[in-house]
Amino acid sequence: METDAPPTARLLDLIREEFGLIGTKEGCGEGECGACSIFVNNSLQNSCLIPIGAIAGAEIQTIEGLMETEQFKILDESYSECGGVQCGYCIPGMVMASAALLSENPNPTDAEIREGISGNLCRCTGYNMIVDAVELAAKKGEVVCQKK
Amino acid sequence: MPEKITAYRFDYLDETLSQLNKEDCAIVAGGTDVMVLHKSGRGVPPKIPKPVVFIDHLSELKRVYQKDKDLHIGSCSTYGELLENPLIPIALKNAIKTIAAPAIRNRGTLGGNICNASPAGDTLPLLYVYNAKLLLRSVNGDRVVAISDFIQAPRRIGRNHNEILAEIILPSVLEEGSHVVFEKIGNRNADAIAKVSFAGYIRISNERIDDIRFAFGAVGPTMVRSIDIEKKLLGKPFPLSETDIDSIVADFDQIIRPIDDQRSTAVYRKTVALNLLRYFLNTSQYQPN
Repeated sequence: METDAPPTARLLDLIREEFGLIGTKEGCGEGECGACSIFVNNSLQNSCLIPIGAIAGAEIQTIEGLMETEQFKILDESYSECGGVQCGYCIPGMVMASAALLSENPNPTDAEIREGISGNLCRCTGYNMIVDAVELAAKKGEVVCQKK
Repeated sequence: MPEKITAYRFDYLDETLSQLNKEDCAIVAGGTDVMVLHKSGRGVPPKIPKPVVFIDHLSELKRVYQKDKDLHIGSCSTYGELLENPLIPIALKNAIKTIAAPAIRNRGTLGGNICNASPAGDTLPLLYVYNAKLLLRSVNGDRVVAISDFIQAPRRIGRNHNEILAEIILPSVLEEGSHVVFEKIGNRNADAIAKVSFAGYIRISNERIDDIRFAFGAVGPTMVRSIDIEKKLLGKPFPLSETDIDSIVADFDQIIRPIDDQRSTAVYRKTVALNLLRYFLNTSQYQPN
């Protein structure tokens, strides 16, 4: 991908405005809510904090890309079954964080799940259903650990 | 027409240093502080007042190696990379795990945390008690300064505009028998800016204190550490007596001068800082780490 956007532009703006991939959300815009989480070279990062010039040549995956994976299908089912989604605004970021966690640690404990999603704020669920969803996804998916 | 933005991203450190020698630039490592500091809203690039130099892709600034008893950490190592590096001491890793959250730990760098020089900088109390030294590199060569001399005031550091912080040096950090603690008090476990932070270092031999250091964050313009007060405890029998502990806490009561701000109050900060110090001094059984 090439762009004429200035090198200090936020990756978040590039993804949403220029590429039209609006699954990635802006919440706080300062790295506290995780709604804009994406993968840069397979590592979970906040796209609101990344100047695009810093990541020239890197591989970016957004929630739209993750949706094409087996891992996403399992997470999708698990979030639905556990009632992990209410208003949904935090969910793309939450699912990215869940996928990052499960890729590194296919069988996380409750504490590890909470640590894994600690950078993501959800104002609806109180988190318990999200933690349940990640736990269920881990159970469902020996396959989940297949690297993105 | 949008304003023109100048930014550089060189393949090698040498070229980066040459550019810095020609022009005063804003150095951007992970960007997690800079992007927030100059944030200008949706769709608008942050307004960074100087030409920008990106450095966090430079592998020369990511090396971690041991030289004699010292540990050298490349300034652009992210927290996430340090957590995975077997050379990093467990105590430092435990502290890093309490910083931010996974996504920011994958981006934020140790060097960036130092050069941002926030009064609440997460790694700073710990780096102060490790007696960290900083290696600054420019086209003219290297120089090494103590972190306590480098950080001068909130967001003010002793970096010449042609220099880059290349390495953080932790002297004798790999020596056995010392114990390090790090405590951070914030509104949320993840992603919070500290209301108060504390780091303590102790080494005991033959039931006497061989070496002891402590530093507080977010209770003054820079980290608060007093080598004079620490010296009073050298050679004292361990565990410390009530009298010794009371006198040290009273000494710090005199020098800690926190402020009220949106995150906390001066009274709360001071109370908690002194409690953390008392708790550290009162510990009779340190787990070596």
